[in-house]
Amino acid sequence: MNFFTGLFGVGAPLIGAALALLAAGFLLLHDRARDGRLYAIAPLVVLIPLAALVAYGGRSNPAWAAVVAALVATLLARARDDSFQSECALKLVWVLGGSLALSWAGLQLLVLATGTNRVSEQWGVLNLGIDPPQLWSAALSLSLVAGIVLLGAAPFHFWAADLFQGARAWLAPLAVAALQVGGSGWIMGRLAGIAACPEAARLTSYLLGIAAATAFAVGAVAVLWQKRPERRIGTLASLQGAILLAALAAERAGRYHRISAEDLLGQWAPHLVLALTGAGTFARFLPVSGTGAEPAAVMFRRHPLSAAFGLFALASLAGVPGTPGARLWLDVARGLAGSERMGLMLALAAAWLASFAVAVRQAREAIGVPSRGPAPEQPVPWSARAALWSAGAGLLALGWAWR
Amino acid sequence: MELRFGFLRNARAVGALMCLAGLALLLWPSLLAAALGVELLAGAFWWWARAADNPAEQVARWSWLRRPAGALWLAVAIQQVIPTLSFVPTLFTWDMPAVLKWAQSLAVVWAGLELLAALPLARAYSDVPGPLIAMRPWLPALLPSTGFVLLWRLSPLWVAVPDVRGAAIVLLLLTAWLATLRALGRRLVAASLRWLLVSDGAIAAVLVAQRAVREDVSFLLWAGAFGGRAFLLAGEMRSAAGRRGPRLARLWRLANWTASGCLAWPLLASLGTPPYTRDRLLEYLFAAIPVALGSLVTVSRLIPAPERRAVGRRQIVFSLAHVAAALSFVMGPVALWIAWSTGFTPARNPALLAAAPAVLGAGLGMLRRPAFVLDAVRRVARFTSRGVLTRERGAVDLLAKLGQGAASPLRDLHTGDAQEYLLFLVGVAVLALLLPLLQ
Repeated sequence: MNFFTGLFGVGAPLIGAALALLAAGFLLLHDRARDGRLYAIAPLVVLIPLAALVAYGGRSNPAWAAVVAALVATLLARARDDSFQSECALKLVWVLGGSLALSWAGLQLLVLATGTNRVSEQWGVLNLGIDPPQLWSAALSLSLVAGIVLLGAAPFHFWAADLFQGARAWLAPLAVAALQVGGSGWIMGRLAGIAACPEAARLTSYLLGIAAATAFAVGAVAVLWQKRPERRIGTLASLQGAILLAALAAERAGRYHRISAEDLLGQWAPHLVLALTGAGTFARFLPVSGTGAEPAAVMFRRHPLSAAFGLFALASLAGVPGTPGARLWLDVARGLAGSERMGLMLALAAAWLASFAVAVRQAREAIGVPSRGPAPEQPVPWSARAALWSAGAGLLALGWAWR
Repeated sequence: MELRFGFLRNARAVGALMCLAGLALLLWPSLLAAALGVELLAGAFWWWARAADNPAEQVARWSWLRRPAGALWLAVAIQQVIPTLSFVPTLFTWDMPAVLKWAQSLAVVWAGLELLAALPLARAYSDVPGPLIAMRPWLPALLPSTGFVLLWRLSPLWVAVPDVRGAAIVLLLLTAWLATLRALGRRLVAASLRWLLVSDGAIAAVLVAQRAVREDVSFLLWAGAFGGRAFLLAGEMRSAAGRRGPRLARLWRLANWTASGCLAWPLLASLGTPPYTRDRLLEYLFAAIPVALGSLVTVSRLIPAPERRAVGRRQIVFSLAHVAAALSFVMGPVALWIAWSTGFTPARNPALLAAAPAVLGAGLGMLRRPAFVLDAVRRVARFTSRGVLTRERGAVDLLAKLGQGAASPLRDLHTGDAQEYLLFLVGVAVLALLLPLLQ
């Protein structure tokens, strides 16, 4: 066992979250350094709970997702003068708050149907067949809505894209990753012990399958249609949410290749936070998509190695072959093949092709056409480059550990 | 970038390097190498296009090359998902491995066909020059050759799937028709040669699909036909060097005609075997007419280039062009001899039927009369090919617009205000309530 394998075997999510926090610190320095360094990095204190959620997941208590949503909305709303952030906060409150309220109603209906609020006991009671299936199936379906919305699965992909476009560079990657991990925790916490009620397991697999197929299909179209680099990253993040949904849908049905969503989460969360940090930072320095014949982005002209790290993060987020992200797509595809989920498999293939195509297009637009004049004088700030290097190094180490 | 990566500014060299690496990888018998190879080729075209004088136009023109690369990456991914995919008689078993195997073969064929201009998406690339100034008229010739090599190298992945193979044969023969009509309709020799390269590639790919002869023989036959035309096309860029003087022009005419005739011969011989039913005759004619048209173009167009200088060039008795023509002339018969010696021995009638279209086309080309008939044929060919290309382009554009229209509601999701998001959420929640009832 080599160093990287050992390190990431011990706690890949922890290391991923720490590196993302480090990158956020660098970006904070760039964003707020004029008011003093200590003041600049003070928001790290508030970001630590987000990183902690990414590191440990939220399976033990799904309510963590609600706490993180409230924290992110508060952080966004604090910058009152920033209309983009305020709009993001408003949208998050409406959508995440609404979905959490709906799911809470679903949870209460399940309590009503089973007479207990312990999830593990609920499945046993439902398996007795005392309650009418219409009531608990509707309740179960509603209780999953918050998880699907928090995962950013399309058609709820817009909030992740909004956050990447509207929120500060130091906040957006960690916030999106924490909310998505919170969403995964919500669903996995809800489904703990569901094997005790095969009918409920079957229904959940069906619902999650539909949600994942919709997320892949809509996400594939949406990601091709996006023009802004930040929104592309947000939509790619939503496809990552769809991957986890597909893994959950395929988990229990595997015939010749079983997939464990629990194991997958251990790889998915650190990869997500590192790829989002790298790609999200990189996207801030890229031009909006145009004719494809614009001059190279400043970062490519002045700092090609840093740009290469950013590109690597973007490629990994999109699942380009050879990157750590590709492994996640392949693992889930194997699980889907094993569970004979043909429609879902085809949707995943379409989404993967679309995200791969977008990554290549984004890379080509970033490299641009050769410019005759000298490179622009204003370089990319060192702190942004340091953030790119830390995220890129983390992804490289992840790839090395998984090889 | 300027200091550390200055060599990247040399678009010609970087593109050439990527292109050569891509072509080398394509010859490797591996799906992954093929995907990487086509990706590098697409990258090379993009690298050249971005450095062109009109980068916006060139980048957009050659961006379709990523599609075949994407298709091959999908095939690679399918192989990674289930490495032990076996033979699939038909898609309609709806078994997951069967669907995956079918999708893999479809992806490989898609990549090959699109590069061979056999799909309506980017068929007309042979009508436009390539992105690199120094090699503009020649560069598009690379693509049908890449398409054929891909289909030839990866034939085990698609020839064994009957649905895909059947569809590919039909599309390839249609391409051969369209390409020869286009070659006949174009006035410029270079443009005609580019379209004949497409036609040769399509016929060679049908030969691979039919498995009439061994695969190495198919490759040798194609190499003879492609090599001759590609050399001649390169000569067209240097003041029609391949057609300087009547003797050299005659030699090239003979070499090209022999090479393309040899390429089509095993295919037509296999189609010309008894029983002679109506369907069989139609199949034979479907393949024979483009062969005859190709032969007509080859013989009638390769006339000596007019000398425009006051003091004429010196006629060289022996040059590289002579060697290339001789090589192209020899390769086809040698390949057929190998096929013959390894068991491909058609009877007399099929053999004669197979040779007839090429001989007939050459005869008409040699006669060049009645002139008004040949001119009318050329006009009809021009009108037909242009009409087909325009209409299928229009159909593709219409489908793309319909797709964009269908996807436009997604735009509202990105431009709506927060209240609309909430309404949308409520709508999805209602759907979530209904879904369990629909299970």
